[in-house]
This record gives sequence, C-alpha cells and structure tokens, in this order.
Amino acid sequence: METLGSQGREGPGSMLAAGERLRPYAALLAVIAAMLGWWLVEQADASRAASSVGVTQVASLDTGRSLYLQGCAACHGPSGEGSAYGPSLVGVGAAAADFQLRTGRMPLSAPGAPAVRQSPAYSEEQIEAIDAFVASLGPGPAIPNVVASNGDLARGRQLYLANCAACHGATGAGGTVGGGFVAPPLDRADSRTVGEATIVGPGPMPAFAFDQQQLDDIAAYVELLHHPPHPGGLPVAEVGPVAEGFLAGAVGIVTLLAVARWIGRGAR
Amino acid sequence: MCTAVADERASGAPGRVIDGGPVLEPRRPTELERIAIWFDRRTGFGRYAGTVLRKVFPDHWTFLLGEVALFCFVILLATGVFMTFFYTPDSRPTTYHGPYAPLDGTQVSAAFGSVMRLSFEVRAGLLMRQIHHWTALVFLGSIAVHLARVFFTGAFRRPRDINWVVGVGLLLLALAEGFTGYSLPDDLLSGTGLRIAYSAAISIPFIGPWLASLIFGGEFPTLDLISRLFVFHVMLFPGLLIAGIGTHLLFVFVQSHTQYKGGTRREDNVVGQPFWPGQVFRSVGLLFMTAAVISLIAGLIQINPIWLYGPFIPYAVSSPAQPDWYVGWLEGALRLGLPIEPTILGVTIPAPFIPGVVIPTILITGLLLWPFIEARLTHDRAEHHLLDWPWESPVRVATGAAAISLFLVFTLAGGNDVIGVFLNVPVESLTMVFRVLLVVLPVGTWVAIYWLASARRRRGEVERAVETAPGGIALRRTPDGGFQEVEGSPGGQPTQGGPPA
Amino acid sequence: MSEEPPRRNPSLLGRPAALVPARSDAGIPENPAAERLAGLAFVAALLAGIGLLVVYVLGGQTQIEAVLLTACLGGIGFGIIVWAQALLPNAPVTEVRHPLGSEESAADPGDALAAPAITRRTMLVRLMLGAFAGLAAALAVPVFSLGPAPGRELFVTPWRKGLRLVDETNIPVLGAQIPVGGLLTVFPEGYPGSADGQTLLINVGPGRLQLAPDRASWAPNGFVAYSKVCTHAGCPVGLYRATLESLICPCHQSTFDVLRGAVPTGGPAVRPLPQLPITLQPDGTFAALGDFPEPVGPSFWNVHSGG
Repeated sequence: METLGSQGREGPGSMLAAGERLRPYAALLAVIAAMLGWWLVEQADASRAASSVGVTQVASLDTGRSLYLQGCAACHGPSGEGSAYGPSLVGVGAAAADFQLRTGRMPLSAPGAPAVRQSPAYSEEQIEAIDAFVASLGPGPAIPNVVASNGDLARGRQLYLANCAACHGATGAGGTVGGGFVAPPLDRADSRTVGEATIVGPGPMPAFAFDQQQLDDIAAYVELLHHPPHPGGLPVAEVGPVAEGFLAGAVGIVTLLAVARWIGRGAR
Repeated sequence: MCTAVADERASGAPGRVIDGGPVLEPRRPTELERIAIWFDRRTGFGRYAGTVLRKVFPDHWTFLLGEVALFCFVILLATGVFMTFFYTPDSRPTTYHGPYAPLDGTQVSAAFGSVMRLSFEVRAGLLMRQIHHWTALVFLGSIAVHLARVFFTGAFRRPRDINWVVGVGLLLLALAEGFTGYSLPDDLLSGTGLRIAYSAAISIPFIGPWLASLIFGGEFPTLDLISRLFVFHVMLFPGLLIAGIGTHLLFVFVQSHTQYKGGTRREDNVVGQPFWPGQVFRSVGLLFMTAAVISLIAGLIQINPIWLYGPFIPYAVSSPAQPDWYVGWLEGALRLGLPIEPTILGVTIPAPFIPGVVIPTILITGLLLWPFIEARLTHDRAEHHLLDWPWESPVRVATGAAAISLFLVFTLAGGNDVIGVFLNVPVESLTMVFRVLLVVLPVGTWVAIYWLASARRRRGEVERAVETAPGGIALRRTPDGGFQEVEGSPGGQPTQGGPPA
Repeated sequence: MSEEPPRRNPSLLGRPAALVPARSDAGIPENPAAERLAGLAFVAALLAGIGLLVVYVLGGQTQIEAVLLTACLGGIGFGIIVWAQALLPNAPVTEVRHPLGSEESAADPGDALAAPAITRRTMLVRLMLGAFAGLAAALAVPVFSLGPAPGRELFVTPWRKGLRLVDETNIPVLGAQIPVGGLLTVFPEGYPGSADGQTLLINVGPGRLQLAPDRASWAPNGFVAYSKVCTHAGCPVGLYRATLESLICPCHQSTFDVLRGAVPTGGPAVRPLPQLPITLQPDGTFAALGDFPEPVGPSFWNVHSGG
C-alpha cells in the first residue's frame, strides 16, 4: 500500500521507478550543461572580437607609426597622448606595448571592453614595429630579457609567494581581485610575458622593480606552474577547497548514497 | 549457537527437543562455535549472545547513512594512525631538503617538512594522506545527510531526543577534528584560517583576548599552536568521538531502531533483518564499499597540494582563500557580514563577532534543542518508533528546508570569489545577491515548503481515510455537527444532519 | 552418553561440549549464479591485493595503488553484499518492541538512588559541594598557565622610532625599488617576517595622496605605509589594484582606499588600516617615526581604549 516512489528492485514498476529516480540527476545535468554552454558562448564572443580587427601589411619604413595610426590612435591619440577612450602611452615603454600586443589584450574590440588574453592581432614583425614606435614616444621600460633557465626555482617560489600569489593564486590559477578585475591564470605566460608584466604593471596590476636575477627566478617558477607536479592525481580546478568540497559531495556522497540504496531495502 | 527459530525445527534433522529449547544433536562443534564456547566459559556472554545476534534492525537503505559516517570515521582512524608515525607536531623552523626542488633549502616548520616528507618520500604516504583528507570531507557530508534523514523523518522524538543531542555533539566534534586536522600541515592556506579563528576568538567581548591567548598560547602566531592542535586532533577529539559514537550506537541498540510506516510495521514491533548474519554482512559490505569509493577518489584526484601553497608565513596570502567545505558556512557568514562595529559604553563589538560567534552559536543551539522545541510546540511527548513521512509535519519539514537553504547561502557565499570568476560576475554583486538571499531564501523556502507539505498531508489524510473506512464509507464531521462523505469514498450513501457524536 | 538431559553449559562439569544446537538448512536460499559472482569478486580482491603488494615493492605509484586498493576493497565489499542479498535468508523478521521506561516494573530508578543517609544531611551535602567548588577554582590555575595575559600585546608592534623599513631578508628597502604604482611588504629592522609588524609600502606617486593634515607628513614623496594586517579578521591584505589605488583583502573582500588613509570602502572591515609614520632618509632608505597610532589587525572589545 505505502510506496515511497519505487517498488523495490524486482518490482514490476522498477523501470518506471528507475526513471523517476533518475530525474533529479537529469535536472542536475541540464543545469551543468547550461552553465557549460554559457561559458562556451563567452569564450566564442571573446575570440570573435579579436578576429574582427582587420590587419593589412604595410610595406613602408615607418611601419610602426602606420600600424599605430591604423589600430591604436583612435583611442590612444595620434601621438600617444591619450584621449577619453584610452590612456597616454608616453613613457610606458616598449615593454608595455609588447606585453599588450603579444598577449592580444590590445587592440580592444571596442573602447571599454575588458582586456583579456587572446590570439595576437598582429604578426611578430608588426608587433616589433609598434613596440619601437611606442618606445619612441618617451623613455620607458625596455623589453626585459628574461631567461627562465637561469632562474632558481626555490628563490622564484619565495618571490612568487610573497608578491604574486595574493592575486594570481599559489597555483597560478588566477582569481578575482574585485572592482570587476580578474588576475588572469598564468598557464600561458612565457618568460618574456612574465618579465614585461612584472615591470610594467599592466592594468590594475602593480609594478615591481625586480632585478634581472629575480625576474629569471620568478619566470622559472611560473614555468613550473604551467605544469605543476601533481603526484596526488588530477589537479581539481586548482582553486582549492571549493572545488574539492564540491567533488566530495557531487561524486563521493552521491556515489555512497547509490551504494547504500543498493545494499539496503527500498520501500516496501 | 543460539539461532533456532520455531520453523527450523521442521527440518527433520535428528535430535532431541528439550522443554521447548533448541534442538540439540550430538555432533562436533564447528570452529566458530568452539571459539564462542571458549569465550563464553570466560565471560558468560552466551547468555546475551542470542539476544544480540538475533536482534532485529529495520533494513531500509536510508538507515545506512549513519553507518557511512561511522565507516568514514574508521577509515580516518586507520589512515590517521599511520600518518601520526610520520608527522612532527612542531612549529620550530627547519630547512627542507627533499625531492621537491622549489622548496629545497627553504625554511619551513618541522610540521610542514614532515608532511612534505610523508607526501614525497614515504611510499604510499601521499595516498594515505589523500584518503584521510578526502574521507574527512565525505565524513562531514555523510553526517549532514544522516542528520537530515533523522530530522525529516522525526526520528529524534522521544525516546531518541537524547541520542539526537549526542549526535549533534558528534557533528561538532567532527567539525573541530576537520579544522584542526587540515591545519596540522602548517601551510599557507590553513594558517590563514587559523589567523581568522584567532580573530574570531579575540572578538568576544571582555574575555576574547584572554581566551585567545590561552587557546593559542599567546598572540598569533605562536610556536605552541601546532603542537596544541595536534593534541586536540589526535588525542582529545578522537577520544571524545569514540566515546560519543559508542554511546550513540548503544542508544540505537537499546532503544531499537525506528522504522517507516506500512506493511506489518507498528509502534510495538520491529520488522527487518536480524543483526547476524544479515545486518552485519550488509554493514561490513558497506564499510568496504565506502573505503573503495573513497580510495578511488583519493588516489585519482589530488587534494590539498601543500607544496604549492608553501609553508605558512604570516605576511603572505594566496587567493582564493577558503577553508574546507564544512567550515565554508562560517567563512560565508564573515564575508556577508555588514561593516558594523559599534562601541557601546566603551565596549567595542568587533565586526566578526556577530557573524563569526553569535550566529553560529544560535544556529548550533537551535539544532541541539530542536527535539525539545518541537515537543513543546506540538505538545507531543509520547514515545515514537514509527517514522513520519516528511510532509506529515509541515512545520518541521519547512523549518528543516529553510535551515538547509540558509546553510546553502552561507556556504556558497564562502566561495563567492571562485563562483564569481566561474560565472563571470563581479564578486561585489554576488555578495549583494547573497545578502538578499540570506533573508529571502529561508523565508521563501519555509512558506513554500509549508504550503506544499500541508497540501500533501491533506491528500494523505484523505487517502488514509478512504482506505481504512469501515464498510467502504469514509465520513467527515461538518461544522454544523453533521456527517459528510469524504471525497473518493467508494460507494455508500451520504448521511447528513445526523446526531452529533 | 548418560541419560541426564543435556544442559546448555555441559562445560561446567569440565566435560567438552559434545552437544550443540542442531544446524538446519531450512530457509537458506540457493543461488549458484550469485555464489559465482561473489566468488569472482573475492578472487579479484585477492589478485588486487597481491598486485598492490607488488606495486609497493616495485616503488609505488599513487594512482596505481589507489586503483588496486579500490579493487581489493571493492571486491571484498561487493562479494559480501552479494552474499547478503542473494545467499542469506531475506524474509523480514519481526520481533516485539518492549516499551522503555520502568513504570510497569516494581523497581523505581529514583527509589534505588535515594539514600536518606545522604539526602537528609543537607548541610553536609552543601559543604561538600562547596569543597568541590573550591577544588574547581584551584584547577583553574593550570588552565591559566596555557597562555600569557594578553596585556598590551594586541596594542603594540615591534615598530619604534628610528627603525628602518626592511624586506624579509632584513635589508633596508630603497625608494628606487618601488616604481610608481608598485608596492612592497616591509618590516621593522631586526624583525623581518614579523606578523604584527608587517607593513605595505606603496608608491602612489607625488601629489596624489589625500591624507588627513596631521598624517600628510607621514608619507614622503608619495610613499605611504599601512599595516598589512586586515582590520577585519587579520589576513594579510596582499592584493593591490594599482589603477584603483585600492587594496582588497582576499579573505572577506574588504577594500581600503590607499589615497585616503586606507579607509574601508567595501566589505566587512570598519577600521582603516593603521598608517605607519615614515620618513625618507638621505641615503634613500626609509625609517619609522614611531609605532602605529592605533592597534593593528582585527578589533577587540577595548581596541579604542588606547591600552
């Protein structure tokens, strides 16, 4: 008479009952699929923005200036003096320009759009040309020559934990820093990028006056963080206890509930 | 030894029946029986063995959830003892020299160094450590699920209100065990949590700074802290847990387990499987399956990579910074706390005090006293051995659902920065949303669940009335004293305006 | 055997138990398939256990160990459960539930406890309880040995007038080490790594600070120093958003405005981060002009009392 959804393992309604039992899991799957879809759409939007910038080859000596006038002057002013849409580039140095162009953060698809890492809009030669032009606007930090293999991992770890981990995370996975900004994950940051970002302090990032050895050390450690040792198995999202707790519940508890259901009696 | 039930005598085996007792036959006892007889000659336990082994336990699968928690504890004990042989509970600085290059030559505490050694240099050490940590997460999850089952079925009513109190005590001990446990490696992430705990302690008016100094051994950070946490984690709390679990199980045994309504089950009987061999086999099987599931997760998915966090240094921090999930609700309460720090008559009430001390105390006290609160509200102080369906008590199920929603908001708020990045939403907006949800969700849940449960209960009453109606007619009293046939009543004539009963 | 009726404990007579209850096969389910399945599971567990031993001897590998351990434990568990479900009598068994409480029995628990020899001597009972209270008070002494009196420790840090600002290796920090829009964590000279002395030295560039008039002289040339210990719950406030000139604490997202004396602008913190008075010395290093004017770190009940 009394049933609690299912009629037990051998009951005639067990197929129907199984379907009923699976419904909450299907709902959960639908939610996860929706979130995944949303995230994928966001990624597609970002890369679409990057590829929409039209680039043509200009075969004149003043390549850098021409490229600058084409792609940057609208926001940063014809002589890099800045405008309502973009800051002044006088004195930012080749390092800043190189960082922004090489990581594809610049040019922005539209003024005020978030500056996120994408495929670069320019080729290697074009980037070098624009770097040279920006450097000519005023004295600023040059592109550092960072060699990770010269760095010491232990010193690099200490420097990283003391100066970088607060925003970029001990695992290099990045994270929010409030104010709408996100410190990006460092999985694609090569030595040059690490060096440039550190001495320039792009966007909300502060600037650091590390010497050559310190830059090498930090770059070495960041390189390790690209593939951190994970002897314990799959590194779960590298954001720590939040992901671990979620898995313990979603996988551990759910599986054990299923095991208990298997061992014990259903409704009778 | 004493397994005979009336039916078994019909087997036709040769033997003699003496005074209604078990059939005895001349044969050699089996090994098992010989061992039992050996013990019985020295303890006299044979008198009780029959009662114990034959004792019936209901076998619904939801009654196994507490056992999952129990077996998690067993796993924690086993892996914990192993790790204790390798752990050095000392904050004193040493220099790490080991296979993990980025830490080579770095100054770390002896405690941190010992956990590094366990993870990288002791064979199966990392597996043991990860099993221990994953089991801790599952331990608290299974306690929560078990608590929810007990709550929503009303199993905590007399005579089990006392066991509920023991159970909530076990929950708090488990929480404390977890917190002290993951703080033992003295890494950057757990050390940050200890700093917050210290701040919560000093926030208590008048006694705060004293209490914090006594617990921590001075101003944070102290050299004594790790060794004290070790004593709590390895000796004091496990001892209390073992005693508590023993008491918890003893109560279940003495009071017999509850059972769902239906079938032949009544308040004055227990229907299920005997302890031996049915329940023991199932329980032992569950123990091994629990261990198997956790072992798989623990070996394949990394947890708490302390080598990436590095040793605790008081002037550094990593982001995101969260405690393990079961402390997440406290973290969320602190994050959602308003920036209010009044000074009344010269006494400052620090901002962490309300969310970090007062609110948890209120919630835990409410949880602890719920059986007595409910008994007072419902005036129901009778003995109960049949379980309610959750909807049969709309107030209870609504309150439980609202409490869960509150806990959920707090826990999610504890990870607001991680969730914000995941959903691409500014963390400040999320915090505001959670603050609103903190009030709206529990209230809304209470109202919605109460309404749904009341409706379901009404339907259930009608069904029951219909099924149990004598002669096939179910009647209901009308306000004017007459009788009216209940909807759905099979056949029969409606009678109206009859004499009041 | 003699004719006397066999007792349950013939061992009392010193004779070995030659008579034991009959074993009956009634009610035992027959299921060869389940038996085979359980047997297979146990064999798998045995092999997995041996495999685990081999892997261990060969040096061990966490993931392989985990899989084999799972197989071993799971095999045993699976076999036992199959046995329980298919090879044990599963018909529901009923037993009587005896009421709890001793109201029906002759024995009254309260009756057994009461002893007039104790309860009538109320004065003596009270004196005894008083004696226990005295003992309890005395036992408080070891509890107070657990830690020092808080005293002034929450009100002071190692910072003193004249101490230079150093990095974690105790080397004095130069202004040139911190570009505009940058920051460093510094400590009082002689106390590198100090937990309550940890300080943020931030270079916001000249002419940007908007400090209170009596604090403006504490920040030479756009360099301003604040305590790094969050005034909410004590975490190091390590995140600096240079374009916002604002600090944010990772623990509970308290934000502090660097230009205006580190006043909280968001999150649960209420007190500003205390500002350290510093001066720029001729050799380019910095020195403190005194300790922080307020207690650093989270508040406590008498935080505003001045100690």
